[in-house]
Amino acid sequence: MILIPCPWCGPRNVSEFRYADEAKVRPDPNATTPERWRTYLYMRDNPAGWTTEKWFHRAGCRRYFTLERDTVSNAVRAAEASREV
Amino acid sequence: MAERAPIARSPISPAPPVTVEYGWEISARRTSADLRIMDCTPLVKILVRASIDGGVARALEVPFGRAACDERGVLVVGSGPGEWLLLAPPGAGTETVRRVEEVRDREIVSILDVTHGRALVRISGEEAVDLLAKVCGIDFSDEVTPDGTAFRSSVAKLTTDVVRDDQDGVRSYLLHCERSFGQYLFDSLHDAGDEFGIEIEGFAGSKALSQPG
Repeated sequence: MILIPCPWCGPRNVSEFRYADEAKVRPDPNATTPERWRTYLYMRDNPAGWTTEKWFHRAGCRRYFTLERDTVSNAVRAAEASREV
Repeated sequence: MAERAPIARSPISPAPPVTVEYGWEISARRTSADLRIMDCTPLVKILVRASIDGGVARALEVPFGRAACDERGVLVVGSGPGEWLLLAPPGAGTETVRRVEEVRDREIVSILDVTHGRALVRISGEEAVDLLAKVCGIDFSDEVTPDGTAFRSSVAKLTTDVVRDDQDGVRSYLLHCERSFGQYLFDSLHDAGDEFGIEIEGFAGSKALSQPG
């Protein structure tokens, strides 16, 4: 069982959450190039190790937040509230 | 032909005998069992969304994760960050909405009457904690979830608002979910409580909400 530390609700079972992609900065659509926009939309780093992700607490506070997760061991750390949707 | 008043129906089938009170079709069953389950759907449910640190939040005086009964008998539940659920006696919807509108000033606030769009169930009795432990992963001990605790979690795999609202010193929980899942939640809790001797009690306005202290 994976416990996700929600910054609002505390540790909860992972089944209450939805994975919402790797955390990355959205480029300005008016200023970016097609190549960078395509990379933002479709390309993932998918590392074997620590990565920063967005999660959505669908069965709890219904907030998005960022989380660091080790994709090899599923260890998690440093959740923080995120205003970005 | 005389005009008849409309009758509201809960999504949870009332246990016989059935009667009509407060404009709702409700069960008139009474029980003396230690563990009881009551369909409290006729209670007024007002959903308020506002800024976490705005005027409405200050006026409601209940933070996320807590629930308290105000001086008018309205149970104010901090059900989410910037989200409150107000539970009031049947027929008090207009008055409850008006009170929130009075304090909102220029703040952007969403006030929605979800009385007929949600289901509400109350479980009362000391063994309610053992019942809920079967269907929910939260620690229901007094140290973690004392009286006045509110949270949203998965109950019987259903997203549910849970409020601990003890009555006369007896452990009691309110469970609030979408209307379409009401019968499922009620049946799941009733099944889980079977081994503890749970019995159905019909809705009674005086028992559905705690009295203001």
